This record gives sequence, C-alpha cells and structure tokens, in this order.
Amino acid sequence: MSQEKILKDLQGAILGYDSAAAVRAAKAAIAEKIDPLTAIEKGLVPSIESIGNKFEKMEIYLPELMLAADAMKSALGLLLPLIPKGSKGVKATVVIGTVQGDVHEIGKNIVSSMLMAGGFNVIDLGVDVKTITFVDEAKRTGAKVIGASALMSSTIGSQKDIVDYLESSKERRKYAVIIGGGPTTKEWAKEIGADGCGMNAVEAVKLAGKFAKGR
Amino acid sequence: MVQILDVMEKALNGKPMSETDYQLKLFAPKCQEKVREYKIKYDPANPIPQDNGMADDLFQAGLELLLDVGAFCTSSGRVISYSESEVKEALKSAPSKLHFGEGRDRKHLVNRKVGDKTPPWCLLGAGGGPCSSDRSFLALVEGYAEIPETNAITTPAITRVGGMRVRPASPLEVLAAMRNAVLAREACNRVGRQGIPIMNSLATAESDIAFAAALHPRFGMRASDGYMICCMDPMKVDFARLNKVAVALSMGGHIGMCFGPLLGGYAGGPEGTAVSNVAHHMMGLLTYQSSWLLPFTIHLRYVASSPRDQLWVISSMGQAISRNTHLLSINLNYTTAGPCTPMCLYETSAAVTSAVTAGLSIESLGVATNKHEDRTTPVEPRISAEVGHAVAGMKLSDANELVKKLLGKYESKLNAPPLGKSLFECWDPDARKPTKEYQGIVKKYKREMASLGLELKPET
Repeated sequence: MSQEKILKDLQGAILGYDSAAAVRAAKAAIAEKIDPLTAIEKGLVPSIESIGNKFEKMEIYLPELMLAADAMKSALGLLLPLIPKGSKGVKATVVIGTVQGDVHEIGKNIVSSMLMAGGFNVIDLGVDVKTITFVDEAKRTGAKVIGASALMSSTIGSQKDIVDYLESSKERRKYAVIIGGGPTTKEWAKEIGADGCGMNAVEAVKLAGKFAKGR
Repeated sequence: MVQILDVMEKALNGKPMSETDYQLKLFAPKCQEKVREYKIKYDPANPIPQDNGMADDLFQAGLELLLDVGAFCTSSGRVISYSESEVKEALKSAPSKLHFGEGRDRKHLVNRKVGDKTPPWCLLGAGGGPCSSDRSFLALVEGYAEIPETNAITTPAITRVGGMRVRPASPLEVLAAMRNAVLAREACNRVGRQGIPIMNSLATAESDIAFAAALHPRFGMRASDGYMICCMDPMKVDFARLNKVAVALSMGGHIGMCFGPLLGGYAGGPEGTAVSNVAHHMMGLLTYQSSWLLPFTIHLRYVASSPRDQLWVISSMGQAISRNTHLLSINLNYTTAGPCTPMCLYETSAAVTSAVTAGLSIESLGVATNKHEDRTTPVEPRISAEVGHAVAGMKLSDANELVKKLLGKYESKLNAPPLGKSLFECWDPDARKPTKEYQGIVKKYKREMASLGLELKPET
C-alpha cells in the first residue's frame, strides 16, 4: 500500500469518526515502515485540526468531536511508542481531569478533545480526581501541564489544592497548572497561583501550548 | 407508578453499559435519529417558531427518545429503562398545580399553555450564582424578596465559610449549606415576607450529605419550599442524586429536577437539544421523582440562553411540553452581559419572552454567565419578572417580532459582552435601590422597550 493511500486512510478515519479504521490505518503505516511522525503529522493532525475548527464554528458538535478524538487516540496509541522520546514534532503531554468532589465531565471532555485536536498527548483522568492523582499522573507520564476542571463554586477550592500541593512538595516549577470550568475566572487563577484560566476550550489549548515545554 | 424503589431496582438491574457508550453510541445517535425522523428544523429567521405540528412532533420525538435510551446511572453503570405505559402514567399523574410557601406568601404554581394570559410563576434571584460573603447574600435575597412579582426565591450559593473556600462534601460544604438555609430565611424575615418559598433548595449543597444536613428543622427549611436536584447531561443520575431524592421525599418536599442540555453538546444542534429537553422533562418525573421541572438549557459557546438558536430551543421545547402535557415547567435563563448594562436587560427580556409565550414559567436568572462572584443584583430578576408579566398572553407571532428586535440590540455583541458592575458598585443595600447610574439605564431600557411595543411598569 502506498504512503499516500495510508495517509489518506488516516485522515479519512479521523474525519469519519472511526476508531477501528484509524487503528487499521495506523497498523498499515507501521507495516509499510512509514515514519510514525510523518503518519501523525501528515495523516492524523490535519484532519483532527479540521475537526477542531469545525467544532469551534459549531458546524459539528460534541459527539463528533469526541469520536474523532477517540479515533485519534487509538491511532496515536500505536504510533507514539515508536517515536523516540524528545523527538521534534511531538507535542507535550497534558494530564487533565475534573477535580475531587465534582462529577461534571462535559467541559473537561471538550477541552480534552480539543487538546487532542491540537496535537497534544492527553491523559484524561476522568471526574472526581484526587489532588494527588493529578500530580502522580503528571510525574508518571512526564506531563508539563496539568488541567483541572471544576463546574461548581463549591468545588473550585480543589483547584487551589493542586497548586498548594505542588508548592509544598517543591515541584511547582515543573508543572503548569491550568484551570477552567463554570465558576473559574482569571482572577481566581491569579488568587490561587495557577498559571492560567481557560475561559473556553480554545483558550485552554492556547495556554497548554504556551506551557508545552514547561513553565 | 414508578417510585424510588423501582428506580433503584432498574438502576441495579438495567443493561450494563459504559458512560461513554451511553453518551456517544446510544444517546447522541438516537437523538439525531429522532430529529431526522420527525424532520425537526431550526429556522434562524424565526427564533419563536409558530408551527403547532412541529411542536407536537417534537413532543413525540422526545417521548420516543426517552423510551429508546432511558436514563443512565453512573454509580451502577446501567441503563434505567422505562416502558411507554410507565412514562404515560407518570405524565398523567404529574400535578398540574402545586402550592409553595406559607401564610400570605403561599401561592399556586399552575400549568400554563402557549399564549396563556396567566402570569408566569416568578422564581427570582441568582440561580445559584456565587456570592462572596454573608453581606452580599443577605443584600441580594432581601432585594429579591421585595420584588412584588416574586413568587419564590432562587438564592445565590455561598462560597466561603469562616474565610475558607468551601471544599466538596466536607464540613465546610455542610456548614455552608446550613448557612444558605438560615440566611435565606433570615433575609425574607427582614423584609416581612416570612412565608416566601425558597425553590432552589439548596444551591450551596452539591453533595448529598450537605443537602441532607441542611434540611434539619433547626435551619428553617420547610416542606413548602422547593427542592431542586440537578441532573447530569445527558439523562444521567447517580446514587448521590438519588440520595437527595430520598431525603426530599421523606420530608414531603416537592422535587424539581434541574437539567441543562447544552446546545452543541451531546444532543447536537438546536433541533437535537430541543428533543433532549423534552425527553428530560419526562425522565425527571420518573428518575428524579419530580413534581415540577426546571429546564436550564444553555449555549455551549456563549454559556447563555440569549443567542438566537438558544431562544428557538426554549420556545420550541416549551411549546412541545405545554401543548402536550400539564407539567409545571420553569425555564432558567442566563445572560452573557453583567449588571448595569442595557445588554443584560435585553438578553433576559428575549429569553423570558421566549419561555413565557411558549407556556413556561420563569426562573430568572444567572447574570454574566453566573460565573463571577457578586456580579448580580436584584434589578435583573425584577426586570425579568416585569417582562414575564407583560408578555403573558402575547401571541407567538408577536413574540417572534419582539425577540427579533431584541436580538438586533445585542446579538452582535455576544462574543464580547460587557461585564458591567458588581453588586455593591450598582446596588445600594441601605436604600434598597440601584444606584442612580443603574436607575438611568433601566429607565432608558424601558423607554426602548416601549418603542419596541412592550410597555413595562413605570420606574418609581
């Protein structure tokens, strides 16, 4: 199978929200010894960027965005391990979740999918995530950015706990903490010492980009 | 009749499924299937639709969506399915009239129809918006209780106790929820409206433990208050929420399920969001044992109720529900703009007009997306209520023209709305009035509304 055909299949799998097709195309890329970075940059990234743009314009909606991100994740799961660590072109890892005591997931899912659309390697921890888990997972995966979402005014205090934990363990400088969600504001981010507040998914992705190589 | 034990039985024995599969592989495609099957179509030229056939189709689509997807229990990881006869029985046995409040302030929440002249039930206040202190909480709730049109109060949420930021399911949240109950009652007592009901009980209690703790009689909550329990989008419940249901039922309180399908979220565009809203009404009767409903559908991009397609969703789902059921449904609206701006008043006027003319009552409101502490005043809910009373009885065609003119005043600014001023910058709690600047803005707004054809009460 030609490289051109495989790259087209990768693109088509993302645009068709098809995880199984993405896995097939990624396996074909590996079998044909296509540079995995090329498969990602020329196959997956243009399509997922197009999906992200369409979502921003509300030409497609959350289910399509999440299914495309899922397809992207499936292909990346096969391709990323073949790329030597630190290679040029591989974007940073972001650990993201909804904070302890909060089970709301839509905002977090949107940002998670948009980060993936922005080419980040996203570790989505789900909802009601303990403070220590954010930090442990960031350490384990080598993430530079921690994203903490909260929807309720009664749960945003847990965002402060993440920053406080990093401060007290003297690891604050290693990780950028980006917050977001219903009641969070830039003022709140400043008050707790977070590195930024994504007022929407697009801003969250920009902030992740800003801190992709560290604080 | 489906009761709480039946819900638990279904939650424990329903079809096992992952949450992601429920949302993306069952709910989302089924919702779009109903949109296609019933040819539901959003028309941007007419934000207030006037097609009875479409309203009835929308109702049928929502009913079928519920039958196809049920609800999802995230605690057990199972689908809670309902039969058609269970849904129809729930619709039939749901109340068309409820009493809330006590003494002089005991009033009836009644079912309304499209174009109904009966004024909407006015649940006024902050819709759970964050407030920074006891002082701002009391100033706000006293102000809400003094609004003549107030039938019930929707309080702000307390974010700090003893100078500490509330943490979920902690003693701080428990104490904050207790304080929410005590201060809300105290504020009403101070202005002589002791019997007025609190209907978002309890905004500060996100966890079940805080909710249950604050209902101890010593904190002043009553069976004649309204007990709001929020559903997770789409059609989801967990044991913590069902715990709240069991507690509220045990004290004889009426439960209102609050649900906010996002336009642009799992239900897709405006058409799917309308179908989802209709389905949520019926799901609330069953899963959350609700006797009144609180749709709170907002726009994913703007986090508000006022964009054109969102107004269409409010009106179309309202028409579908009020034409086909006798349910008690109260629409909560959010604005993008903040207090002391004309835009905020135009936005809430458009959302309230859409809801009230479609047969819904109103909960008003979340100001400036309800995100910022103390960025709300008693003025915005008062204006919302005055608009609600003024448009009761208005024909859908007239409402459509009014809403289009209102959109002309703010639609282009939704991307960068003015945040306006905070509570004490534009509200004088001692005088119990807005500042002169805000009074001027309100007067000018009322003149503009009159020029658009809607006469509101003169400002004193």
